[in-house]
This record gives sequence, C-alpha cells and structure tokens, in this order.
Amino acid sequence: MLTQQASLLLSLVMLTATVLTYAGLYLARQGIFPTTFDWTNVVNHSLPLALAAVGQGIVVLTRGLDLSIGGMVDLTNGLAATRLTGDPRLDGLWILLILLVGAAGGLVNGLLVARARLQPILVTIATLAIYQGLALWVLPTPGGQVPGGLTTVLANPDAPTGLVWVAAVAAAWFAFRRTRVGAGIVALGNDPEAAHASGLPVLRLTVIAYVASGFFAAAAGLFLAATTTAGDAVAGNVFVLTSIAAVVLGGISFFGGRGSLLGAVAGAFTLTLVVNVLFFAGIDPLYQSFYQGLFLIAAVLLGNAAGRLARRAR
Amino acid sequence: MTEVRPVVEVPTPPRPSRRGDRSGAKVLIAFGVAAAIIVVGQLRNPGFGSWDGIRAILVIASFTGFVVAGQTLVVLVGGIDLSVPWTLNAAAILLTTTAAGHQSRVLYAVVAALGAGLAIGLVNGIGTAYLGVPAVVMTLGVNGVMEGLTLGLSQGMTCRSCSAYAPDAVRTAVNGQVLGVPGDLLLWLGVIALTTVALSRSTFGRRVYAVGNNPWAAYLAGIGVRRLTVVLYMLSGLFAALAGIALVGYSGQPTLGMGDPFLFQSIAAIVIGGVSVLGGRGNPLGPVAGCVTLVALLSLLRAESMPEWGRNVLYGALILAILLLYGRERRPD
Repeated sequence: MLTQQASLLLSLVMLTATVLTYAGLYLARQGIFPTTFDWTNVVNHSLPLALAAVGQGIVVLTRGLDLSIGGMVDLTNGLAATRLTGDPRLDGLWILLILLVGAAGGLVNGLLVARARLQPILVTIATLAIYQGLALWVLPTPGGQVPGGLTTVLANPDAPTGLVWVAAVAAAWFAFRRTRVGAGIVALGNDPEAAHASGLPVLRLTVIAYVASGFFAAAAGLFLAATTTAGDAVAGNVFVLTSIAAVVLGGISFFGGRGSLLGAVAGAFTLTLVVNVLFFAGIDPLYQSFYQGLFLIAAVLLGNAAGRLARRAR
Repeated sequence: MTEVRPVVEVPTPPRPSRRGDRSGAKVLIAFGVAAAIIVVGQLRNPGFGSWDGIRAILVIASFTGFVVAGQTLVVLVGGIDLSVPWTLNAAAILLTTTAAGHQSRVLYAVVAALGAGLAIGLVNGIGTAYLGVPAVVMTLGVNGVMEGLTLGLSQGMTCRSCSAYAPDAVRTAVNGQVLGVPGDLLLWLGVIALTTVALSRSTFGRRVYAVGNNPWAAYLAGIGVRRLTVVLYMLSGLFAALAGIALVGYSGQPTLGMGDPFLFQSIAAIVIGGVSVLGGRGNPLGPVAGCVTLVALLSLLRAESMPEWGRNVLYGALILAILLLYGRERRPD
C-alpha cells in the first residue's frame, strides 16, 4: 500500500513539475501565464490518451497488456466520423452503440486471454490487426464529419468542460476500487494463484478488465473524433504505444496489482504536456519522440530508485 | 503388525523442455501452412507457385527474417525488443548517408550501420538486465529515442546526403543472383544456419534456453544471466540493422517509417513458429517458417486483390487460429 501511494505521488509530482515548466516557459516566451484557453486546449488534447491509458491501466493491473487499444480507437473514431448526424436522439443511440462495440471488442480479447489462456500480447496483436482492418472498412480514407454538438459536449474549446470528464473518471475509479470487482482485479494482479485459491472468480475478473479496456478505448475514439472534428482510420495507432507509456509514467507496475488509474490519467497529461514544453523550449519538433523516449526511461529509473528508498526506509 | 507406509510416487524426471513442447511439430505445422497457402495461390493464380513467385515471396520474407533472427533470441529469454522499427530505419539511413554515393565508403558505411544496431542493443540490454527496467518499457523508450534522433539528425529526410541511394556494392550483394538465387536469400540462409546451429548445438544455445526456462536456476548454475541478456539484445539490434541494410539495398532508398511494419510482423512470425513468448521454448526454425507463412498469406491476399481492410482482418484471424491450434501455453517451471 505504501509503495502504491508512493508511485501515485511520484506520477503527480512529475505532472506538477511538467505543468510548472510549461507555465514558466510560456511566461518566458509570451510574457503572460497560459490562459484558460491554453489550459482547456491541453485538457482536450490529453483526454483521448487519458481514457486509453485508463483502459490500458486496468489490463496492466491484471498483469496483462492490450495492444488492440489502437485498433479500437481507429474503429470507434471511424464510426463516430461516419455515423453521427447531428440529430441528438439518434446520435445518443450511436454513441451508446460505439461504446458497446468497444466493450464487445474487449470481450473477445478477454475470452481469448482468460478462457483460451492465450498470452495477452499475442491475442491483442492479432485483434489489433482485425480492429484496424474493420476501421479501414468503416472509413477507407480520412474524412467524415463530426457534428459540432459532440465537440461541444466532449471537447469544448471555449470552456474547460473537459475537466468534468477527468473528475468523472477519477470518481469512477475511487468508487470502482472499493467494489468487489475492483478489489478483485487488484488482488488478481498481485498474485493470480492466491486469488484463485481464495475463491476469486479469476476468469470473470480478467474478462471484465479487458471489456473495460475496450470500453475506454471506444470512449477515447469518441473524444478523439470530437477534438479533431474529423475521422481518420489510422489516427488511433499511436495509442498502442503511448497508452503503455502513460501507464508507465503513471506508476502502474508491469508486474501487476500495483498502481492507481489516477496515475495513468496523470501520465497521459504529462506525456501530452511534454510536447507543449518542448515547443515552448524552442526544440525542433522533429526531436519530439527522442525526448519522450528519454523521459519514459528516466521516469522508470526514478520510480525504481524511489521504490528502493521507500523499502530501505521501512 | 505391518507398518503401512505411504506410497511415494517417484516423479519421472521432466524431459528436456525443448523436446517436450512439440516444437518440432509446430515447425512442421508452420511450414505446412506456408506450403498450403502457396498451393492455393498456384491453383487460383497460375505462376504464384512458380520459382519466380516463390523467390519473390522468400525475398520479402527475408527482411522480416533478419529481424526475427534477433527477436527470437530475445524472446527465448522471456524478453522482447520493441525498438526494432527505428533501429532498422536508422541503420538504413545511416548506410546511405554515410556512403553518400561514394563507392569507396561502402565498407565504412556498412560497419557504421551494424555498429549502430549493436550500440542500440547494448543500451536496451543494460537497461533491462542491469537497471531493472521492464523490457517492454526500455525498448519502447529506446525506439522513441531512435525515432527522434533519426528524424532530427536527418532533418526529416531533407539533409543533403539524405537523397543518396544505397551504394552499388550493397545493391549488387542483395539483388545479384548466384545460380538464380538472390544474394539476399543466401545471406538469410547463412543467418538461419548460424542461429540454428548456435542455439541447438552450442553451450551458448543451452545457456539461452536455460535462462529462458528459469533465470534464477540458470544464475545458480553459474550462467552470467545479465551479461548473456545484454549480448542477446545486442544481437537483436545487429540483426535489425542488417534487415535495414538488406531492405535499402533491395529498394534503393530509405524512407521514414520503413521499419514500422516489422515490429508486429516479427512477433507474429515468432508466434506462428511456435516459440513461447514466455521464454525457454521453441525451435529456432519455427519463426523462419512463420515469416514465409505471413508473407505468403499477404501476397496471396494481394493477388486476390483483397482490399487492405480484408487483408488486415485475415492476417489477425490467421494469428488467432494458429494460437488456438497450438493451444494454451504453460509457464515453464
């Protein structure tokens, strides 16, 4: 529990440091602090990754990995850009359907991992290709149109409503962690054999984790469509690796059962903000992935060092 | 009064895992699937199964094959190398920009490209083996680092020497034919022979399987687990760089993002070949068959003018089908 809090704390400290660096560089360049518009922009651009990272985080908590998230974001982003019309009632139904598509994709992953006992990384490499294919079927060329109403609700550029969604995810995690299923998923990740021996429905919990991952990937696809106001059947591919990076920055252990989804959200915000920091630091955007990669490795090394210190202090 | 003694069952010693996991059967299955795809292709499009058709498939498969040779080594000890795409890309660009059209610099350029691969692998290995960074995270980070360096140093492929073609010597070595067999395939054959013999007939190979089966036991048996891991990541970097050199020799010029398809393709080929991603199990010839199977399938689907979305779906479905066919993996214990 102590190390769990410590890693969450570390990810929040990293986020704070990145926010302060961003504000400082902005001040140095523009002579003022970032405006509400800038912060809203940051939140809106971080939200798709934050949601994808929450999904990835749940799966990583069970010692799994979900590479198909990228394909599911592609697919749901394509569906949003081609099926939504602007009619609120019909669109509400479609949004529900899109989220269900995500959950169904997750169900397939979950059953293959839990029932057929296949390796998560292999199952989700295969379903990644399948979901990417379906996305290209739905939207062969970039385009489509996203009704303005969706953007207003999910990623309003004029008011910081995006924070409401962040708060909703945080609240959902706090509630979920205290449910039987939430506690079970963490216990399962901590020690699958002990979880099984103490009568936890390991199979069902694993499936639930993958269903949640698919659901959140679909939500990420919807938010991405709302932010970019158009569809692109390959726009989600970056999420395969960035969702893993966000989870790592969020301090969720790859050995399962340790970490908070709040950390994954913080990691997603940090990763997005780093891009802004590099921009205001006047660094050639071509070097962006270089610094993101370094940052990722440094964060893990820092986390390892902090963990060692925490253990020594006890 | 007779003493009742509990019957103690003497456990039969476990057979060496490499033979006990049907890995030989999996190699046959993988080659069988590849052959079946080629037969179907020949029936539907005469010429698909001719020597020219098969040679074209094998040449494309060889690029994945080079990557797979290194990836298999890392996977056998339970690791993974996600830095393959930009190691390959960086090596390809390094080759053409270093040579910059001067034929006299060929050797220097090839050494630079291979050296870059080794150096990247060294970083990966130190991070995973000595600094305790999970392999997925370390190699993912290094892939980002290499992507940024490649894009930045080449100024997005707009630098002066960036438009250079691969040196003639490399292009001849890759495309030139000996008795109808392209040099690239001979090189692949050499790599296959080398890795197969090293893994199945040398102490090096026995150490790799021992570490993959149980790193702790291997350590207690006196194997330098960390040093071996570093060497394997270096070899993975080396083979990814070799793939970059071969690919740029084949196509003439490097492009940004040319390595991206090879990450998941190399892992898929390893899976089809029946090598366990948990480490310690699998025949090194399996992934070779996996490469041929994947490329044959993609070529067949293209010959059938299947749209890209359908190719993706069937590609994923094939991997799932083979996974289900092989059955569930048990953690080696």
